[in-house]
Amino acid sequence: MDDYRRLQALHHSLPAFTPAISISLLPFVAAFCLLPTFALAFYSSTLPTSKLNVKEPATALVASILGGFGVVALFCSVGVYV
Amino acid sequence: MSPSSWRTLPFLLLVSVTSVFASSKSFENTAIVRTAELGGSVVHVTTTYAIKALDDGQKTYTVALGRAEREKTSFIEAKVKGSKEPLKIKERALDTSKDYHLVDITLPKALSTDKTLNLVLETVQTHATWPSPATAAQNEDQSLKYQTNLLILSPYKTSVQRTKVKTLSPRIISYTTPENAKDLTDKDVVTKSGATVTYGPYDNLPSSTNKEFIEKYQQSILIHYHHEQPVLEVLNLQRSVEVSHWGANINTEDKIDLYNAGPKLKGHFSRLQHQSQKYFNKLSAHVLPALTLHLPAGLSNPYYYDLIGNVSTSNIRIAPSVPKNKQGTQFSVLEIRPRYPLLGGWNYTFTLGWDLPLGDVASYDKSAGKYTVEVPIMTPLLGAVVNNAELSVVLPEGASNIEILEPFPALAKRTDIHKTYLDTTGRPRLTFIYKNLTVKHAESIYVSYKLSWVAHLKKPVAVSTAILGLFTLGMFVRRINLSLTPTRKV
Repeated sequence: MDDYRRLQALHHSLPAFTPAISISLLPFVAAFCLLPTFALAFYSSTLPTSKLNVKEPATALVASILGGFGVVALFCSVGVYV
Repeated sequence: MSPSSWRTLPFLLLVSVTSVFASSKSFENTAIVRTAELGGSVVHVTTTYAIKALDDGQKTYTVALGRAEREKTSFIEAKVKGSKEPLKIKERALDTSKDYHLVDITLPKALSTDKTLNLVLETVQTHATWPSPATAAQNEDQSLKYQTNLLILSPYKTSVQRTKVKTLSPRIISYTTPENAKDLTDKDVVTKSGATVTYGPYDNLPSSTNKEFIEKYQQSILIHYHHEQPVLEVLNLQRSVEVSHWGANINTEDKIDLYNAGPKLKGHFSRLQHQSQKYFNKLSAHVLPALTLHLPAGLSNPYYYDLIGNVSTSNIRIAPSVPKNKQGTQFSVLEIRPRYPLLGGWNYTFTLGWDLPLGDVASYDKSAGKYTVEVPIMTPLLGAVVNNAELSVVLPEGASNIEILEPFPALAKRTDIHKTYLDTTGRPRLTFIYKNLTVKHAESIYVSYKLSWVAHLKKPVAVSTAILGLFTLGMFVRRINLSLTPTRKV
């Protein structure tokens, strides 16, 4: 019981949890990540299909990173707290 | 951690650490007063022992409970009268050959000869009352019976002891007048005053934890009383708590099987009679039309649905968010009115859920890199007992070094993996199983875990990988030429 009370006191005194990205910003993060994702996806579909084209994998990489964060932010802003 | 409150199953043997056998000469009880407050499914028994040490340096005091009584007890706590700190108690092994059960209480300071102390033993008994008559029509009264032992057993001599049985309303139908108790007292063996029936005072009892005394003097007493509130039981409670770091949110979902443990309905249910009773405010005591729950302050997105769908006959007043050290001072009040009133013997199953900001229940220790979350075990329902409870806590994906601190030990614990949205390796889920929980058990479990930033980024990386896979697929598909005629390069 002493351990319990000690942890309880510690828990009350420590700073509260703060998320990496503030909750109020999440819908905007979702928009600013997902809209460029779709734009880049469209852009990558217009690129020429030559063998050595650095642009294609580059846009794919950027678009997927933005898309990853955008989807997580989108899920959280609609209430599915992943 | 040594828990000071215990619960048990009737068939579970408690293994005890060998403790010093209390000599009947080491203490003397100057007075014992036991007060049993009769509720519906829950009976609150408070026993006050005024003890005097006969030997020097006594550190352990032993109390005795009837064996049947102990089997019904789901909460035991011992305190010094006036103090808030519970004392350490050790229960001896439940011996089915004996009619009593011993509990050793460690006193805060060793008592020297002729020093006195007041100890308060608080117990909560569940399923100790039963409706009698067992069936009641819609407009009839509800009456319950409670049975207990007349005398409080003790391994030490007792100068005087009393048992008071208190009901919520003064309408008591009958109470047993004990025989064989004439030589224990020179006054009335039992008196009734308002809502209290007093058995005693019984003077000069010797050490009573032996077969001869029990056979000669111990008898059971039965109180038959009217109870003006519905007797509620939660047959099954499944609480699922999910912690999200990306959403800074903690979601709690309760699946409750509510049961009216009052007298079963005799005859049929007449909606007309029910409506007219409600209009004239003369609803019978065993009918439950609505329920009020106190949920945490600062909640959002509450939902209440049952098998058919959302139940709109509910009202919530949400209190503003409070910081984590003030949890439990403010409550959001939810009034739910099930689709049908709960009559005796009827069940109602529903699901209740809400979201809370994670900052209101979680703390972060930067030096240790540890997060600590406070998870309440249940939402207390006044006067109700939860027969079976299962609490599962789902931590974020990649949580490691998980530590648990419980206010009292769970019957069973297990850890497994739970997979939900956007998960790759799954999240750790801790499950705790409980039995016979009452309002006294409505405390919180503290779960600590570490979540490195690499683990925290697992989710967006997983989604990014999936999208990258789609792009790679797209790159291949773009280069496949399905035209029937060769494309001519002009």
